[in-house]
Amino acid sequence: MSTIGNPRDFRILTNNPLVPACMEGRGLYTIEFHPEKSYREILVMARDKVYAGHTLYTHPLSGSVKPNETPYKSVIVSMEPHGFDQQYAEIISNAIGVCDKFVPCARQYTQRVLEDFQLIDYTLLCGAIGFDAVAGLSNKK
Amino acid sequence: MKLELGYIQINDIQFSKECKVENSTLFVDPDAVKAFMYEDDDVKAWVKDFSFDVAKPGESVRITPVKDVIEPRVKVEGPGGVFPGVISKVDTVGSGKTHVLRGMAVVTAGKIVGFQEGIIDMSGPGADYTPFSKLNNFVVVAEPVEGYQDHKHEYEHAVRIAGLRAATFIGEIGRNVTPDETQEFETLGIKEGIEKYPDLPRVAYVHMLQTQGLLHDTYVYGVDAKRTLTTIINPTETMDGAIISGNCVSACDKNTTYHHLNNPVVKALFAAHGKTLNYVCNIITNENVYLADKQRSSDWSAKLCRLLDLDGAIVSQEGFGNPDTDLIMNTKKIELQGVKTTIITDEYAGQDGKSQSLADADPLADAVVTGGNANEVIILPKMDKVIGTLDYVDVIAGGHAGSLRPDGTIEAELQVITGATNEMGFNRLSAR
Repeated sequence: MSTIGNPRDFRILTNNPLVPACMEGRGLYTIEFHPEKSYREILVMARDKVYAGHTLYTHPLSGSVKPNETPYKSVIVSMEPHGFDQQYAEIISNAIGVCDKFVPCARQYTQRVLEDFQLIDYTLLCGAIGFDAVAGLSNKK
Repeated sequence: MKLELGYIQINDIQFSKECKVENSTLFVDPDAVKAFMYEDDDVKAWVKDFSFDVAKPGESVRITPVKDVIEPRVKVEGPGGVFPGVISKVDTVGSGKTHVLRGMAVVTAGKIVGFQEGIIDMSGPGADYTPFSKLNNFVVVAEPVEGYQDHKHEYEHAVRIAGLRAATFIGEIGRNVTPDETQEFETLGIKEGIEKYPDLPRVAYVHMLQTQGLLHDTYVYGVDAKRTLTTIINPTETMDGAIISGNCVSACDKNTTYHHLNNPVVKALFAAHGKTLNYVCNIITNENVYLADKQRSSDWSAKLCRLLDLDGAIVSQEGFGNPDTDLIMNTKKIELQGVKTTIITDEYAGQDGKSQSLADADPLADAVVTGGNANEVIILPKMDKVIGTLDYVDVIAGGHAGSLRPDGTIEAELQVITGATNEMGFNRLSAR
């Protein structure tokens, strides 16, 4: 596993509205916001990138909130392909397997609960790349 | 480094204007605890009020949502104080004498996020799954100030500090009490250990810490462990509160501060030290989200195991999914250094127990102790009294549409119960 840590190479795949609201224009990374995608669909997008040789920068199963609980997911892959890596491919495909084993929930969450799920996903992303989560929140667009 | 723990047995807690321990009963003034908590500026800024309660083993009481569980301790001899770098100054702890109020805990509870788990039932089937149902619990329920929704990092910090301050205040009550029992723990220097136990296998404990973000963090001497490199710590330092918990989501396999103070792996290794093995030290490492951090931290774990000339290592993880990758990276790399490993984990094997248990695996990880299947569904009966709130129970893990049934019972997965599948082995589901 080799990882190139230049933020210019970070492509953040996310369906979490808090990520663009707090991070857009505040770093060298690129945010791809897909509000229509599900948690699993974000993982599949990341998998397709990894299969095409992009680097996987963050763990797709970040956080203890389970895939059948939170609707939100953010994953960082590279902007450009750097060559296929078996270990990244295993991590992302295992993550989709894990996602599929959790029993689907048919719950209706309140807006406040949804916002808390967004907050947790956002802070995990911030923790991964050293972005100041609190500063981002105070500058929220 | 040598530490003596003096255990003061607490069998009951009573509210009283006078603070003392008498005949194994803790008498404590909640107003004095509250005043001590509010001496902290962050607590003052973010916590509107605290309410207090006592929950005893066998009562029809449910505490939820639980944030942390902390055992009160006080340093009576030797350098530093409990919870160094957070409550006490940052001096190195782990030597001298520490008094422990055993048989009780401070439990912090109250809303932080809207899907918060963490249930301690003091009786019924749920009580069997959490070790904290066996303790006399001094419960502190925190209520946030208005507008805290936009400041959850600050509020989480304030509640974490408040709990530690409550435990510190109560620990201090035991300073001049004669312990019911004492026990000594000693870690030798490397050369000293080899000379004293030349024929015993050298074993260390690779202790993985949850380090991902808000409600997923751990602090070592006050430092956010996601910003640290893998390093060595004396086991006795953890007994003085060098490691504290900042996580409570998916409560079954998160280490509370109580777990860190009473780490059963540390306890078991000390019990075997000098008899069947030479317990060298603890290696603490993190579980970051950024993959390069995982590579770096696991490389360092393996490097330290080799540098210490270990024969064996016990590796415990904290959490599921992301940490599984760290667990396997650590284990594989340590094994490739010629050091035998045994891992401690729990499982997310699906509600029927038939799925792959971990998100990662390797043939070198061939010795595993499990803390149980966190997906197992349990029905928790209605309790006469709830300390905290049931507001969030309907959205916690387990039920298909909702977890809270009309009759007041809860259908949930074990993952909602504090400590149910603890990956230090501090639970009742293992084969032990």
